[in-house]
Amino acid sequence: MLTQSLFYFLSFLAIFSALAVIIAKNPVHSVLYLILTFFAITGHYILLNAQFLAIVNMIVYAGAIMVLFLFVLMLLNLNAETEPQKPAYIKIAGVVSGGLLLLVLVGALKTVDVSGAGGTTATDMGLVENLGMVLFNEFLLPFELASVLLLTAMVGAVLIGRREA
Amino acid sequence: MTSLIIVSVLAVAVLYLGLFKYKTALLPVSVTGLLAAAAMAAMDWDLEKMYFSEMMLFDNYAVAFSILLILTTLLIFGLSRNYFEKISNNVAEYYALMLFALAGGVVMVSFHNLAMLFIGIEILSISLYVLAGIRRKDPASNEASLKYFLMGAFATGFLLFGTALIYGATGSFNLAAIASSGAFESALFRAGVLLMMVGLSFKVSVAPFHTWTPDVYEGSPGLIAMFMATVVKTAGFAAFLRLFLMAFAEASAFWAITVAILCILTLFAGNITAVFQDRFKRLLAWSSVSHAGYLLLAILAVGFSASSAVLVYTIAYSLASVAAFGIMILVSRARGNDHLDSFNGLARTNPFLAFTLTLAVCSLAGIPLTAGFFGKFYVFKVALAQGYTWLVVLAVINAMIGIYYYFKVIIAMYMKENANAVAIQLNPGFRLVLSIVVFLIFLFGIFPGLIANIL
Amino acid sequence: MTLWLIPALPYLGALILILAGSKLSKQMAGIIGCGSMGLSALWTGVTGIAFLSGGREPVRLQLWEWFDVAGWNPGVTLYFDSLSLVFTFVITFVGFLIHVYSTGYMARDEGFNRFFAYLNLFVGSMLMLVLADNLLLLYLGWEGVGLCSYLLIGFWYQDPANGAAARKAFIVTRIGDTAFAIGLFMLFQTLGTLNIGAILAEAGSALSGDGAASWPGGPAGATAIALLLVGGAVGKSAQIPLQTWLPDAMAGPTPVSALIHAATMVTAGVYLIARMHGIFELSPVSMQVVSLIGTITLLVAGCSALCQSDLKRVLAYSTISQIGYMFLALGLGAWSAAIFHFFTHAFFKALLFLGAGAIIESLHHEQNIFRMGGLRKELPVVFITFLIGSASLAALPLVTAGFFSKDQILWMAFAGEHGSLGLWIAASVGAFLTALYTFRMVFVTFWGETKTPVTHRPGKAMTIPLIILALFSLLAGFIEVPHNLGHITLFSSFLASVLPSPELITDSLLMEWMSQAAAALLTLGGIGLAYEYYVRNPQSLAGMKRNTGALQRFFHSGFGFDRLYDSLLIQPYTWLARVNRRDITDSLYTGLARFSIWLHRQSAQTQTGILRHYLLGAAIGALIILTISIFI
Repeated sequence: MLTQSLFYFLSFLAIFSALAVIIAKNPVHSVLYLILTFFAITGHYILLNAQFLAIVNMIVYAGAIMVLFLFVLMLLNLNAETEPQKPAYIKIAGVVSGGLLLLVLVGALKTVDVSGAGGTTATDMGLVENLGMVLFNEFLLPFELASVLLLTAMVGAVLIGRREA
Repeated sequence: MTSLIIVSVLAVAVLYLGLFKYKTALLPVSVTGLLAAAAMAAMDWDLEKMYFSEMMLFDNYAVAFSILLILTTLLIFGLSRNYFEKISNNVAEYYALMLFALAGGVVMVSFHNLAMLFIGIEILSISLYVLAGIRRKDPASNEASLKYFLMGAFATGFLLFGTALIYGATGSFNLAAIASSGAFESALFRAGVLLMMVGLSFKVSVAPFHTWTPDVYEGSPGLIAMFMATVVKTAGFAAFLRLFLMAFAEASAFWAITVAILCILTLFAGNITAVFQDRFKRLLAWSSVSHAGYLLLAILAVGFSASSAVLVYTIAYSLASVAAFGIMILVSRARGNDHLDSFNGLARTNPFLAFTLTLAVCSLAGIPLTAGFFGKFYVFKVALAQGYTWLVVLAVINAMIGIYYYFKVIIAMYMKENANAVAIQLNPGFRLVLSIVVFLIFLFGIFPGLIANIL
Repeated sequence: MTLWLIPALPYLGALILILAGSKLSKQMAGIIGCGSMGLSALWTGVTGIAFLSGGREPVRLQLWEWFDVAGWNPGVTLYFDSLSLVFTFVITFVGFLIHVYSTGYMARDEGFNRFFAYLNLFVGSMLMLVLADNLLLLYLGWEGVGLCSYLLIGFWYQDPANGAAARKAFIVTRIGDTAFAIGLFMLFQTLGTLNIGAILAEAGSALSGDGAASWPGGPAGATAIALLLVGGAVGKSAQIPLQTWLPDAMAGPTPVSALIHAATMVTAGVYLIARMHGIFELSPVSMQVVSLIGTITLLVAGCSALCQSDLKRVLAYSTISQIGYMFLALGLGAWSAAIFHFFTHAFFKALLFLGAGAIIESLHHEQNIFRMGGLRKELPVVFITFLIGSASLAALPLVTAGFFSKDQILWMAFAGEHGSLGLWIAASVGAFLTALYTFRMVFVTFWGETKTPVTHRPGKAMTIPLIILALFSLLAGFIEVPHNLGHITLFSSFLASVLPSPELITDSLLMEWMSQAAAALLTLGGIGLAYEYYVRNPQSLAGMKRNTGALQRFFHSGFGFDRLYDSLLIQPYTWLARVNRRDITDSLYTGLARFSIWLHRQSAQTQTGILRHYLLGAAIGALIILTISIFI
């Protein structure tokens, strides 16, 4: 009972703050709302017993990335005048795509059978211990290859960031 | 698998060479390493080995495409002498990044698990985001890098979302498990397939997800654009086909129509927009979009004849692209830009270059006696075998349109004069690579059996 | 098995000459050109001896699989049997002699290296044609020789007339080639293969079953295929109605006329029909058509040859006429007789052309026989060899090769199962005409008084091939002698494994003697008449010429076929082209172009370079895809 009311509360919070992100005129407010969204999602992860994801989401997204966002926004010095005018066809395209999205959602809701979704129903799947077991057994190769990915990204970052002699 | 390890280790080794300033050793070491990697890949032929809880499967498909990727990279390295030196001091890093990208490509053609597909694509893409922007003082290069990165990240979102939905529907990332899950009717699965299709379409520039292609190709340095057009496109299509062949083939009834629509869109978008481009690089970018359209035809024909067709097509396309981009680099370096007028009179000053470019362009257009003809031929053949006659008719119309813009450069080279043109000097690397390419285009154009029956 | 060396050597020579032609000296080019041909001929000899001594089993050599489409995998496969051997031998051997001759003939020509490159390319393609295991490869060789023929007719392209002749040859033969190609399509549709062995096996089983009815395409299908193949053969072999290109093809250098337009390429049609004989046996109609074409052609060309004044054109018409004999033999089912006539004809016609070349060269490119004369003493070697060639062409009884081969055809026309008295009479009249025009040419050229002085004499490179060919023109006939004269059947029994021998409806010895006697008399009569008119009593000729001017002009123009085609085809076509200047059919393509331009304008608008537009487009695209699939 408590979980359920928590779920509804967190969901409301997530949707509300997500809407606020795009509605807010002030970009700094947007970012703050986004942080709130991430917090709400972190709460969802905890409800699902996914500890690892919850922590990672909190540290990486809410912590690191959003702080980065804030820095960038402050450097850019945005205000209402610099906002570009949107031509009419962009608006039309927006309406069309929004309408389509609605159609897809309605259609999907009509056909999707939620209970039929496969996958595991075990509740302890998101625990760090179990995640570690999977990661270092079955998914060892992707895990190792991720180091190549990170090395690549690091080399790239250094290359772009370094001052040319 | 050994070849993947060699390529990855080679990239790290190259980084170390850069650290200790052995600049002259970069190219020999890379070339030797790549040759070793290709040889090791060839040793896996017919072994059908699975690795690490079925994460990767080195079947003949994977081996053939790995070798193709490695050898194409080798050709590109052959053109790279003194190229990066002019752009930046950090030459070793560029070689390393290209090798990392290649490692990603090898993963993409040999994955047997959606997690591997994702990691492969990301390794490839992240290297390229950086490579596109290596001309740091050039705003166009920066713009290309940023656009590519943002669009790529957007596409990754689709890909991941699709992967998650498919996991939700089937409970597995393993291709064989997905194929045998029987969840093809579920809306979750279908949405997952389509989202993955969208994500992959971005990577191989299929319309309407192709819009980044011309801007990124134009802004990137020529050699990197060449790498994108050849290695990246080949890896992307090989991954696309592998996924749809090994995991989604049974469900082809519902995604085939979508692929057909994408195919038409891509063909028309690529060919029609290429018609009036007056910069050769941009023209090649649009032509690379159109070639994605022809390749989609093969994906419609699920089955192993499709792999053969895609292999022949990508070989032909890679060879021709190496030549076309290579000569574009030479011309734009010597004449200041890659405008079609810069090619005027090339036949008189550099008959060899003009001939090579003519051959490459004919191969791209699909003129007989070049490898490109048989590429198109096999692709059309597998599509016809599946009953997509109307699609092939449209594709042939597009091939006709293609001839128009491809031949513009031939006309410029042979029929227009440029009084103050001087001969372009070639370094031995260019001469060697272009000669090899000419030889291979002819070889495969006359004896397509050499490559058509590999798979 | 090293069979592949035979076509590979000339191709290699051509490749070297094309790639390095401008850097090589003439001497070097000559050595490469002749050397590769000589080696090829030598290798043909070696292979032929191995074939003859080794049980005469056909050899099949798959070099590689060409391509593999939908279960159809034509290979680049060579097939070597006795029929191929005869053709390969003639091509390489005569080809080698002509190459040697050309080093003398073309010595002062600027395009010497180019000439040898083309010539080698031609020989390679021709060998490909006769060694092909499947019709697709044969067609490749067929088109290859067509291309070389075009290149060599227009070799002296500086003169627009030569270019026009080359184009004419190319376009006219193209009509035949198109028919041939359609025939191949039909064959493939019927049988799903173009492998010659498989087709002949199918035809053979149909024949031994209940005839054409058991052929997969039915009797009509077999006839259609056979007639389409005849169409190809008629074009390449310059038979009526596609014969008009050959006289004009004499614009090329004389060795080319000797090799391509007399000895080898023009007989490709004969080879094709002989090779595909199984299909023709299924269709009696097509056999009749072939013999009819041959008969008409040999008469028409014989009459035309009578009135030519250009030495090479006389020979060109005689070639058409002699190939007419071969077609007649093919139509009669006398396959080996046709090939035998090809065999002897290759020698004496190459000899005649090379002799003509020597004369033309000596007289500073004078080709009009009425401005020659008295060359008997000036060019003795050329005279003797030319006389031998002419005697063989005129089928002088008992001593020449031409007699034995032509006699076989005449006898088959009379006594063969498809023969008739009418065909025999026509063929005999043809023999008379042949003797008449041949010796008219000889007497006008070599007798009488000298009209043009000889500027220089041919060298050894030119005379030695003449002598060798002359020997063959005399001796080659003795490998096949009719049974009343000695009965030697080396040639026909050699070919028996490939080509069936026809049945005779009569084997009366008396009839055969009479036929031979009649042919011999006609030949001698023709020679006598020529002697009477052109040596002894030229005045009487002048009177006759005045009375029959119109007929002469008609004959001289080759029965007016050129004018007929001009008014029947070319003028209506140019009229249509004039009327349809704006080109109705082209509007389809301009429509496509306009549509492309319009679409281009639209799609160019999407290239704003603004990232958010791109992303928006992509998002809408993804949404549309999802929408479609959810509601389908």
